[in-house]
Amino acid sequence: MSVVMSKIVKGESTDDQRYIIFNREFLPHIDSMYNFAYRLTMDEDDAHDLVQDTYLKAFRFIASFEEGTNAKAWLFRILKNSFINDYRKRSKEPAKVDYQEIETTYNSEDGGEVQHTVDLRAHTVQDMIGDEVANALNSLPVDFRTVIIICDIEGFTYEEMAKILDIPIGTVRSRLHRARNLLKEKLKNYASSMGYDT
Amino acid sequence: MDMMSKGSVDASQQKVGTKSSCENHENCMRMIQAILDGEATEQEINHFRENMDICMPCINEYHLVKCIKESLCNKLERKTCPESLINSIKLKLDLL
Repeated sequence: MSVVMSKIVKGESTDDQRYIIFNREFLPHIDSMYNFAYRLTMDEDDAHDLVQDTYLKAFRFIASFEEGTNAKAWLFRILKNSFINDYRKRSKEPAKVDYQEIETTYNSEDGGEVQHTVDLRAHTVQDMIGDEVANALNSLPVDFRTVIIICDIEGFTYEEMAKILDIPIGTVRSRLHRARNLLKEKLKNYASSMGYDT
Repeated sequence: MDMMSKGSVDASQQKVGTKSSCENHENCMRMIQAILDGEATEQEINHFRENMDICMPCINEYHLVKCIKESLCNKLERKTCPESLINSIKLKLDLL
């Protein structure tokens, strides 16, 4: 443990020392945090509040952060938990959080793997513009959207994802697999409706 | 990607031709996912390398998932945290 952190743990720290860590370790990730918050809430005001709450919590509990470890993953975990605890329950658009759909999808795992292949061509996806890909991503249930965001957009490893989401690595793999299959279906349906050659 | 190939074997004993169906596709899709995420084992990577020219469904899946990952990474708008929010956070820290 660094000298700065050890002093914080012992209660000998000054605010300056906490600010040093906050500015050096936490603030550099604020753009990623805001992007993640926006993709979760799909509302700029909610994203604003979620990021603010997360950073204030991070500062308040800075003593529990081990300096030199993955601050980004630590922050993402706080944000994810805040989203679940505070924002998902009072979503301005509850229709976008379809718990029944999530439950149905998860329950189907009990009966084994769903075997299917989505007939979608890579060049079709290549031809799509960002908004079209974003629409497909945003249409996913939030738990599936989350794993795709933190894997493909934020680049976390499976192990880091497991810690952020507080789930086993095996569940990370299977949830990613299901999320990508669902995303492929959404992309295919969207491409078909927009007249792309699928 | 099944080790069995429908392709013929030429005089040099090299496998030629491609498979149009994959009997192990669900497991192969998981392996392809791990490879593209940089999480595959050495065994998985070697298996993929040995068979990537043979199984068309898996080749197509590899390129599709790779393309989707690249699109998510490169095409989606990345929001930047407003300066006003950063300032608001810093102000509130002083009140804690």
